[in-house]
Amino acid sequence: MEKFRMFFQHFQSSSESVMNGICLLLAAVTVKLYSSFDFSCPCLARYNALYGLGLLLIPPLGLFLCGLLANRQSVVMVEEWCRPAGQRRKDPGIIRYMCSSVLQRALAAPLIWILLALLDGKCFVCAFSSSMDPEKFLDFANMTPSQVQLFLAKVPCKEDELVRDSPARKAVSRYLRCLSQAIGWSITLLLIVVAFLARCLRPCFDQTVFLQRRYWSNYVDLEQKLFDETCCEHARDFAHRCVLHFFASMQSEMRARGLRRDPEPPEMPNGLDGDGSRKAHLRAVSSREQVDRLLSTWYSSKPPLDLVASPGPWACGLNHRAPTGAPGTRLSQHTDL
Amino acid sequence: MDKFRMIFQFLQSNQESFMNGICGIMALASAQVYSAFDFNCPCLPGYNTAYSAGILLAPPLVLFLLGLVMNNNVSVLAEEWKRPPGRRAKDPAVLRYMFCSMTQRALIAPVVWVAVTLLDGKCFLCAFCTAVPVTVLGNGSLAPGLSRPELARLLARVPCPDIYDGDWLLARDVAVRYLRCVSQALGWSFVLLTTLLAFVVRSVRPCFTQAAFLKSKYWSHYIDIERKLFDETCTEHAKAFAKVCIQQFFEAMNHDLELGHAHGALATAPAASAAPVATDGAEEEREKLHGITDQGTMNRLLMSWHKCKPPLRLGQEEPPMGNGWVGGGPRAPHKEVATYFSRV
Repeated sequence: MEKFRMFFQHFQSSSESVMNGICLLLAAVTVKLYSSFDFSCPCLARYNALYGLGLLLIPPLGLFLCGLLANRQSVVMVEEWCRPAGQRRKDPGIIRYMCSSVLQRALAAPLIWILLALLDGKCFVCAFSSSMDPEKFLDFANMTPSQVQLFLAKVPCKEDELVRDSPARKAVSRYLRCLSQAIGWSITLLLIVVAFLARCLRPCFDQTVFLQRRYWSNYVDLEQKLFDETCCEHARDFAHRCVLHFFASMQSEMRARGLRRDPEPPEMPNGLDGDGSRKAHLRAVSSREQVDRLLSTWYSSKPPLDLVASPGPWACGLNHRAPTGAPGTRLSQHTDL
Repeated sequence: MDKFRMIFQFLQSNQESFMNGICGIMALASAQVYSAFDFNCPCLPGYNTAYSAGILLAPPLVLFLLGLVMNNNVSVLAEEWKRPPGRRAKDPAVLRYMFCSMTQRALIAPVVWVAVTLLDGKCFLCAFCTAVPVTVLGNGSLAPGLSRPELARLLARVPCPDIYDGDWLLARDVAVRYLRCVSQALGWSFVLLTTLLAFVVRSVRPCFTQAAFLKSKYWSHYIDIERKLFDETCTEHAKAFAKVCIQQFFEAMNHDLELGHAHGALATAPAASAAPVATDGAEEEREKLHGITDQGTMNRLLMSWHKCKPPLRLGQEEPPMGNGWVGGGPRAPHKEVATYFSRV
């Protein structure tokens, strides 16, 4: 049990590990999708190139968008970008960091698809068989150009009667597959080298700035999650109190009408110990207008990242007065307590 | 058991992630149902299109409705929509938010079905085999020799390899490859379009209506939680009601027995010793009753809950009279901010 709890807590505590998990999941889905997809080249002159290249490029685009969609941090990044500055100024460096981390993770699945397609070779053969140079192969010497074109268009279809068991078809197909695999492996090597260099050389440049940006982008994500959770808890307490209030108001209504039989109504959940925490939690924000005001203020004017200097940064938001004020005035409002 | 309970708690702690889980399961189920389905093209001129259109459109509709049904927010939305305003105004933005979020999740399984159908190609092949350009793909010179119905009858058999007899006109493989290519292109375009639309909606929204979105999200969660808590409170109340009712019945019977049989000390002594225990238990149960102690009142409460929900305003408790705020007027919410904030 402890293991599970620690596992979930670890996952939820670091949004980076959650994102890595989603990235891996999407990569696995890509592999499964590619292997279960039934490739069938049309083997017609103009359609081959469209089909082959389309299959090489359009699914990666769709997978890239899926990667962006599945990543919660992309929404957090856009929110951080679009929010009004309020009391917390915006740092473009953090937004850039979040953007690059989101893009890197979203690029994994499309790259896997492209590499799989190239290493497999079918897409490449389908797309480029019609544009092969027949002079490379001796078998085409006796054919007219139109026959050659027809033949080349049918190379990707092994079972077609025109090209079945033809050594020329096998030669062209082998050549194109070899080319495709060479390109695939080169791209793989290039990507790995680039990733390796980027990872190794990054500490040489701006390491402190990088650490700060990573911290604050993680912070923004966690803060948003915690805000949502706190809102949920608050909604639960609000609802609980509302329901109990309702029962109590029915009871007082009955009393007012003289219909009650008990002389002394039972108290509302009394004592501050069991329910005190809930009451304290709710007292500040206990009406629809206050909740709406709280939420608008959260959006338009997030509190500054300074817990020590201003003990009540939310005071400005929940006041009826103007939201911006010097810290001095805020403190004096609190000393009124 | 503990493990399962923890997993359910984890999923339910965030209701949205629970709904996402259900969505994912339905999408997988949709793909699985398609692969298990035995597609049988009728290979007759008029029926092909009807069969394929049915396969392409009817299951997505069923999956969409199933997605809505499995989402328990449907009844919450309907209730919120139909209730009389009473003391709590209705917010159309909240209703729209609930409707949108339900529809988005319910649309995933149908989209998966349509995408898988198009990418597989059998449905498209069955529907459009009679529209293949014979002059381009096959022996175009022989085509004018056939009348239109005959050509249609011939081409309609393309999806069925064992009864196709038109190889002299058009090789079956060529037609099948051509139609599959078109079908797969349409399928991928559909997938790309849907993901692009979803991406634009998701990414662009925070730039426009974020504050309103936060409000709608909060209040839609609130409505759901309030309904659940009300049901729980009613259940507790019903239990307490029943307990007190039964206790009263037994006490009344006991009292009758005492009056009827004059057993004097023998009867009263155990009754007296049992009485304090009974009153303690009864007191606790009576507290749970919140003063609602008869059927008429309870019925009135339930009717009132539906017809006239309480306003969203809890500030009935007196604020602490520390510094001269004498009741009335605007309460000072910022006084309690320190307490609230320190909890975060």
